[in-house]
Amino acid sequence: MTFRLKRPSGLAIVTAIVLVFLFAPIVVVLLNAFNGNRTLDSWGGFTGRWFSEAFRDSSVRSALWVSVRVALASTALSLIIAIPAALWARRAGPRARALLDATTYMRIVLPEIVAAAGLFLLFRRAQLQLGMAAIIAGHVVFTSAYATIVIQARMATLSGSLEEAAADLGAVPWRAFYRVTLPLLRPAIIVAGLLVFTFSMDDVITSAFLSGDTVTLPVLIFGLMRFHVTPEVNAIAAGVTVLTLVTFSLSAALLGWRSGTSLVVGARTEEAE
Amino acid sequence: MSLVRLTSGTAQGARSPSRRRIAVGTLVLPAVGWTAVFFLAPLILLIAYSFGRIDIITFTVSWGWTTHSYTQIFQSLYLSAIGRSLLLSLGATVACLIAGFPVAYYISLQRGARQLFLLVAIIVPFWTSFLVRTYAMTNLLDYSWLGGGRALDTPFAVGLGIFYTYLPLMILPLYVALERIDPALRESAADLGARPVRRLRRVIIPLAMPGIIAGCILVGVPSTGEYVIPSILGGGKVLMYGNIVADQFQSTGNYPFGSALAVSLMAVLTIVVLVVRRASASREAVA
Repeated sequence: MTFRLKRPSGLAIVTAIVLVFLFAPIVVVLLNAFNGNRTLDSWGGFTGRWFSEAFRDSSVRSALWVSVRVALASTALSLIIAIPAALWARRAGPRARALLDATTYMRIVLPEIVAAAGLFLLFRRAQLQLGMAAIIAGHVVFTSAYATIVIQARMATLSGSLEEAAADLGAVPWRAFYRVTLPLLRPAIIVAGLLVFTFSMDDVITSAFLSGDTVTLPVLIFGLMRFHVTPEVNAIAAGVTVLTLVTFSLSAALLGWRSGTSLVVGARTEEAE
Repeated sequence: MSLVRLTSGTAQGARSPSRRRIAVGTLVLPAVGWTAVFFLAPLILLIAYSFGRIDIITFTVSWGWTTHSYTQIFQSLYLSAIGRSLLLSLGATVACLIAGFPVAYYISLQRGARQLFLLVAIIVPFWTSFLVRTYAMTNLLDYSWLGGGRALDTPFAVGLGIFYTYLPLMILPLYVALERIDPALRESAADLGARPVRRLRRVIIPLAMPGIIAGCILVGVPSTGEYVIPSILGGGKVLMYGNIVADQFQSTGNYPFGSALAVSLMAVLTIVVLVVRRASASREAVA
């Protein structure tokens, strides 16, 4: 009993240190977004000035609008790809399924720079214009893989007996899908959609390679961050952080924290097994 | 099946099995199409370009089957940068494993609301913008508030940045693997007199192996091609593989060389992943 009490406490200390380490830098960025001192080396009082300055900047506004449109399109396309693929995977033979899983896994694990460079060559070679469509095409390559994993993980927990019952009661496959399968998959679809939206809103590499003249918000921020730390950058970063926390809380609230959390944890880990 | 189905479905009944199979097959077409056009075709194009040659005066790429771009890798000034980039991601992966394991183990021992709270605390940083998290590290490294100089623009800064941003990706699969371990196994090891370190070494770690491998792949493979972290924390002085590849496409315009670099990275990582997975599979077969 004695070491039972002792050991978790050692683990607890490490856990606490790691959590502080994970959150402290983000909190500093959030605080600095309100820091009245322009040089940021000490606290210069509370101000909302950097937010209004950042938002008045038309390049920030247009980049944000580009990013939102790209993220919405990526979300829609990823779900259109992932939902049928997950339905298919349930009935597919083991070999075909393994093939799908392997390509899904590859799309996530392969360093993004490799896929982005290849896409860049493809668009150049085919003489297609770089820009928003190219960025969306690139995002969907990996975001649809995340969506597939989340939805497939949920699908694996469904027994299929409800759909059989629907079919027995005379429902045509489409109707059985719409009335039975889809509602059962809804939590996974919501999480997948929010995950895709967040990842698309956050992507730098693919967007930078395929941008042409179209600048997404992360590409714009990336350019700013590379060269200087300014209060405006902190304000934009704080805004982005709040936005992502809202999507996260939204998904968690819609699903209940427990099942939402387990879906995300599942998504991150199934892929590697 | 049931009577209702038989009576309602007699008309199409005869054709339905093969028809059904075709209908089910079409479901995977969007995924196959998108992957083929926007993922596999670009990779094939990269391979083709990597064997091509570039005219350094006109910057036109001519096809051919020359391995010139590959031999160039070994002669280039980039060789040390490539080596350092591999070492940095390897080091960061090991650091993530060492720091992440106790955290994942602790979370797996908790129950109920406390466990949920801790999991959310790991997922929130993972969900937070990668760019913002990388940028957040500059605060830790830039200011001399600790009394020391600035650590920005050094390999250490880049390594710390990888460690910081990828840590949640290590903790989550470790947690899933540790959570699956039957508490009875832990207890019986203790009852049989195994001391904590021995229990960890002989029971917990072997059982957590799938999670350890998954975590190492999720951190090690993508971080090798890292581009954003060295750009922000390395200040353009500490290059990683991703920066070298990006330079070929975005500034130098040497597509064959950039392609050769990208293909080499892909090949090396694929071999590493296959070897690791094969090794873990045979390990499980023995056990």
